[in-house]
Amino acid sequence: MSGITLSDWDRHYIELKEAGLKEPWYGGPLRRHVEDGDLRLLKLRYDDSAAALRLWNFLLTEEDRLREARSNGKKLVGVMKDLGTVPVMAYSLPNVVAFYPDGAWWTPCIMEMSEGLFGLAASYGLDESFCPVRAMLGAFVTEAHFPIPDMLTCSVGATCDDFSSIAQRVEGLGYPINWWEMPARRKPGPNEKVIRLPGGFYATVDQVAFVKSELERVKTALEELSGYKLSDDMLKDGIRAANKARKTLSELRLAVFTAKSSPIPALEMQIAEMFAIHFCSDREETAAVLQDMLAEAQKRISSGIGILPEDSVRIFWVNPVADLRAMNVLEDCGGRICGADYLFAHALDEIPEDLHPMEALARMALADPMVGSSHDRAERIMRDIEAFGSEAVLISKIPGASHCATEGAVIGRAVKAELNLPVVEIEVPPLTDSMQPTIMTRIEALIETAREWRK
Amino acid sequence: MIGVGIDAGSRAIKIVLMDTMTHEVITSGTVGQGVKSNDLAMELFEQLLKDSSHNSEDVQKIVATGYGRNTISIADATITEITCHARGVHHVVPEARTVVEIGGQDSKLLKLGPGGSVQDFMMNDRCAAGTGRFLEVVADRLSVGLAELGELASRSVTPAAISSMCIVFAETEIIGLLASGTPPEDIVAGVQNSIATRITSMAGKSVIPPVVFTGGVALVPGMDKALERVLGHRVETAPNPQMTGALGAALLACKPKR
Repeated sequence: MSGITLSDWDRHYIELKEAGLKEPWYGGPLRRHVEDGDLRLLKLRYDDSAAALRLWNFLLTEEDRLREARSNGKKLVGVMKDLGTVPVMAYSLPNVVAFYPDGAWWTPCIMEMSEGLFGLAASYGLDESFCPVRAMLGAFVTEAHFPIPDMLTCSVGATCDDFSSIAQRVEGLGYPINWWEMPARRKPGPNEKVIRLPGGFYATVDQVAFVKSELERVKTALEELSGYKLSDDMLKDGIRAANKARKTLSELRLAVFTAKSSPIPALEMQIAEMFAIHFCSDREETAAVLQDMLAEAQKRISSGIGILPEDSVRIFWVNPVADLRAMNVLEDCGGRICGADYLFAHALDEIPEDLHPMEALARMALADPMVGSSHDRAERIMRDIEAFGSEAVLISKIPGASHCATEGAVIGRAVKAELNLPVVEIEVPPLTDSMQPTIMTRIEALIETAREWRK
Repeated sequence: MIGVGIDAGSRAIKIVLMDTMTHEVITSGTVGQGVKSNDLAMELFEQLLKDSSHNSEDVQKIVATGYGRNTISIADATITEITCHARGVHHVVPEARTVVEIGGQDSKLLKLGPGGSVQDFMMNDRCAAGTGRFLEVVADRLSVGLAELGELASRSVTPAAISSMCIVFAETEIIGLLASGTPPEDIVAGVQNSIATRITSMAGKSVIPPVVFTGGVALVPGMDKALERVLGHRVETAPNPQMTGALGAALLACKPKR
């Protein structure tokens, strides 16, 4: 088994401190988060670098950061569902901090259901037939997992049916939402003018104009909240700063996924990628945390250090997992992460800096994999698979998530037909303990099959 | 030397001892699964060694497979039942291109390449419909033994339509059918068709013959015919189908050590 346990980290932390480890204000031993109720940390295995320690501490102190921001007079904006667009606008204002209430979907996993968010969501009519992001509704009820934002935005339309239902229920509880509509990205008609989007997609000129007008409404609402006018120059600066984090992440992904021997575990890579969409409530610190991870990866690669055997099977992972432990399991089974599409591939692309900033954001928003067809998403995934040299594809379904119901089959068929690679689907609920044998069997079988294909 | 394959399945533990040079089965045995899976496997393994006049020093390698493979402490390696069934079926039916394996707890469909390598696989391990468990529930409900189900189904003239794909609701349907006077043989035949249909839904449209049927449920008479009806291909039942996984594991245990 690769990685170290939390108990190992207790000892390792002391060693690092004795060796002169300098930490940001949110630093400290990981163990303290367990005392706050993050029980799942006891069952995960971690990378042992100081960079990974910083990554975890940054992730697990987001609530503290939000409360501090509020006490410093900043406005908190809960940006729901758009996965990477509105935060760029929000962070362009001097006194606004954006965060994703959607992130509460991981709370039942991290706290091993001890927080009762699913039960609360069910009592408000959203049972297990909905995506685990329903935990967010429970978090709004308890007000215990994030401070209630001063303003909420939510992308609706082609994004996600489950999320729309959940957000509507949140609004019904008395939290007004600034809705903005996302049309379904579609194939242009014969006489329609098209625009190329980041990620290699296309949309019609009309669609881009529509999304731009929707984002203008959000921009106005943000300006009213903050009391500042969001000028084009401010927004351009914001885009540049967002791109800085995205560029670092892009370098990190390329370095890790193409390294001869994997330098960074799948679990830490997934968390690093998540920062692209929300900056974990601190854009500048996100860039620094990612820079640290990149430096660690580069150091290991140049020293020939890998965390896994060189012959580990190179797996492309589709969709985020509700239980973080699944990423450890991949490596236990003989795989390594070699590419991923966690449903927000558009947030990994740099935002065009040579366009009017609102036009650039509209184009980026329309490149969201969730607002196009499953075939579109499959095309992008296959381009990435070829770029990273993945040998097999693992599609993890999220129980109850409507967008996962049939999409996996479409992606799987495309990958098999066009790239001739083995594919397997697994379903990862918020706690996988009882299902671990069946999940492991599928992943191990995928890896055995990929090894067989090497011959 | 001996290669040992242990298939720790959900309903039974199967062990095959194989000659590493000739790949001939020296002996094999089965014991019902229980709480102490490892102890049961150890007892059976030691008995088989003794019966075949071998001892542990003759053993080159032990490969464990099946749902409980990670509980077998004497295993030198664990390999999934996907790979082991493929290897086992290829050994006994080298021309096989599709393998349907129905066990007590799950069902699988494997597509094999010409050399017996796994090209693709599909699994149902989340729902009892389409597994041996479904047949057990039906046998229990009809108060007949599992072994009698096939004979019973062969007498069916009009198999009942079991519309539900969920074992819990299907049981309700069976109660309803019994109450309405449907003959038990038609119910059993209907259930066999239901399981076969479930397998077909995993297979899609791309079943390549020859199709080989394996796993414990292949021992239930009539299931092969039900599969033939829904797959549209002749289905050959593997010799000693319950042992195929252990056979494949034994073959893998016979590979020379690196």
